Amino acid sequence: MEQPDNGTVLEVFQLTKVFRDFWRRPRVTAVDGLDLSVQRGEIIGLLGPNGSGKSTTIKMLLGLLHPSDGSIRILGGRPSDVAVRKRIGYLPEDSYLYRYLTPRETLLFYGRLFDLSASERRQRTAELIEMTGLGPAADRAVGEFSKGMARRLGLAQALLNAPDLLILDEPTSGLDPMGCRQVKELLQALAARGTTILLSSHLLADVEHVCDRVVIMYDGRPRAAGTLKSLLENQERMLVNVPTLDAAATRRLLDLLRKELGCEADVSRPSMNLEEFFVKVVREAKENGTPGAAGESKMATFLQA
Amino acid sequence: MTWFRQAVALAGLTALEVLRQPVCLLLVLVSITLTALLPFLILHRFGEDGKLVRDSAFALHAVFGIFVAGYAATTALSRELQGGTASAVLSKPVSRDLFFLAKFAGVVGVVGIFSLCSGLATLLVERIGEKFVTTGGVIGYVTDKQTGVFLLLALVMACVVGALANYKRQRPFGSITITALLAGLVICVVIGCLFARSGEWAPFAARMDWRLVPVSLLITIALVLMSALAMALSTVVGTVPTLTVCSAVFVMGLMSDYLFGQHAAVSLWARVLYSILPNWQHFWVCDQLNAGGQVSRAYVGMASLYAIVYAAALLCLGVVVFRQRDV
Repeated sequence: MEQPDNGTVLEVFQLTKVFRDFWRRPRVTAVDGLDLSVQRGEIIGLLGPNGSGKSTTIKMLLGLLHPSDGSIRILGGRPSDVAVRKRIGYLPEDSYLYRYLTPRETLLFYGRLFDLSASERRQRTAELIEMTGLGPAADRAVGEFSKGMARRLGLAQALLNAPDLLILDEPTSGLDPMGCRQVKELLQALAARGTTILLSSHLLADVEHVCDRVVIMYDGRPRAAGTLKSLLENQERMLVNVPTLDAAATRRLLDLLRKELGCEADVSRPSMNLEEFFVKVVREAKENGTPGAAGESKMATFLQA
Repeated sequence: MTWFRQAVALAGLTALEVLRQPVCLLLVLVSITLTALLPFLILHRFGEDGKLVRDSAFALHAVFGIFVAGYAATTALSRELQGGTASAVLSKPVSRDLFFLAKFAGVVGVVGIFSLCSGLATLLVERIGEKFVTTGGVIGYVTDKQTGVFLLLALVMACVVGALANYKRQRPFGSITITALLAGLVICVVIGCLFARSGEWAPFAARMDWRLVPVSLLITIALVLMSALAMALSTVVGTVPTLTVCSAVFVMGLMSDYLFGQHAAVSLWARVLYSILPNWQHFWVCDQLNAGGQVSRAYVGMASLYAIVYAAALLCLGVVVFRQRDV
C-alpha cells in the first residue's frame, strides 16, 4: 500500500467517539468532531489534560476503537487494514507488555507478528535491546521491570518494523531525564529520515523540543492548532543575544536602545533549563569514566536506512 | 502463509503465558498430586477392583480441567483486554479474527498439556490401585508399588528441575516444572509398559489399561468445549462473570437430562434449553469401563463431532462479537 502522492500520511475528518453504557445510552463524548491532517516527516504533538480525548483519538487511528462518526484515512487506507498496520509503530500509554516474557522473547514475538525473517528478527531484537539500554535485563521477566525499563521495551517494540508512521502515547513517561533526552533525539533522527511521528504527552517541554506542530485538545475538541512558532512566538518583544558585556558596556547599550527606540529594555543572562543541565552533568560524569545504568543510545542500523 | 505464522506465534505465546502463571502450575500440581495419592487414600475393596481410583482420577481430570480451561481462556482474552496487551497486539498487522482464534488455539494447547498429564497419571494410578489378580501364580490383591514410587518421584523431580532452572538460569518455574512433569509422566508410563503389576517383565504395553484413553480423550474434548464457551463469553464480560457463567453452564449441562430432558416432550422451554445447553453426560463415560467394557471409536467420533459443532458455533459468535467491540 503506497502513501498518497501529496505526502499526506494521516487525514482525519470530523472524528467523533461516543462511549455508551451497557444499555447503549450515550455516556461520554470522548472526541467530538476532530479534523487533522499530518504530512510525511512531520512530528505532531497531541496535547491536552487528562480525559481530553488524546488516547481515544490514537486508538481510533489504530482501529482499536470504532469511531461513532467521521472518517480516518491513514497511510492511504483504513485503520482496520492489516497492511496499513504493518507500517505503523505504536507505543501505548502504559507499555502493556506480557509480564512473564523477557524483553528478548517479547521482541522476537512481535517480530513474528510482522512476519520478519528469523535472521531479521534476531538482528533487530539485538540492536533494539542495545539501543534502549536493556542489555543487562534482556533475559529477565518483564514483570520485574521498573516503569522506565518497561517504557524502553515498549519503545523498542514500536520501532521493530522500522515504521513509516510512529504513534507514541506519553513516550517519555517514567523515563529518567537521560532517557527522555535519548528518546527526543531518536525521534528527531527518525523524522529526519522521513518517519512521521504523532505523539501525545502531558510533558509540554518534551513536545516543545521535538514537535513541528501541535494540536491542543480539551473536552474532546481541538482548541488550538498550528506550528509551535506560530503559537508561541511573542510578536511584541525581541531578544538580542550578545556575549557577556561588562557593566559599563551594558549601561551604554541600554542607554542607546532607550534613546534610539524610545522604549524600556532590560538585560538578563540566558540560562539552561534543568534538563539540559542534568544531561550535561551526567555526560561529563560518563566522560570521566563513571558507569551509568543506561548507555548512550546508538541508533539501530535498520532504523538508519 | 503470513497468517499461519502469526497464528502459531500468538497461540504459542498464549500457551506460554498461561503455563508460566503460578495459578496454572498450582492447578496442575494439585490435580496430579491428588491423582497420584488416590490409590493410597482409597483403602476399601468391596470387589470394586480399582474402579473408585479410576473414577476419582477422571473426576479430578474433569473438575481441575474446568478450572484450567476457564482460567486459561479468561487469562488469554478477558485479562488481555483489561490489561491492554490485546490492544498492543492488535495495533500490529493482526486481524481480530486471527487474534481470537489463535488465542483459542493457545488455550486448547494448555488444556491439552493438562489433559495429557492427567491422562498419563490416570493410566498410572489405575495400575497402582489394588486389584484382585489370579494370574502368574498369584491369587489375591496386588498393588503396583514400584509404579507408585515412580509417579511420586516424577512429581518431586519436576519441582526440583523447575527450581534448579529458576535458581541457576532464571528460567520460569511454572512452565519448566509442568514440562518436566509431563516428561516424567511419559517416562513413568514407558517404564510401566515394561513390567507387570507384580514386578516381573511383561510384553511391552500389554499390562496397561488402554481402555482409559478414550475416556480421558472425551473429558479433554469436553474441556475444549468449555474453553470455547469461556472464550466466547470473555469477548463480552470480564473474568469473574465468565467463570461464573461457565460454572453454571457446567452444572446445568451435567444435569441437563434430569432438568430438561425428561420435560422436553411437553415443554417448549425445556426443549429449547435441552437443545442449547451442552450435555456434558455425553463426555462422561467412565461407567462404560465396568465389567470389562470399553468406549467404542464410533462413540468417541460422534461425541467429538458434537463438541466440534458446538465449539464452532460458540467461536463464530465470539468472532462476530469481538469484531464489533472496542479494545
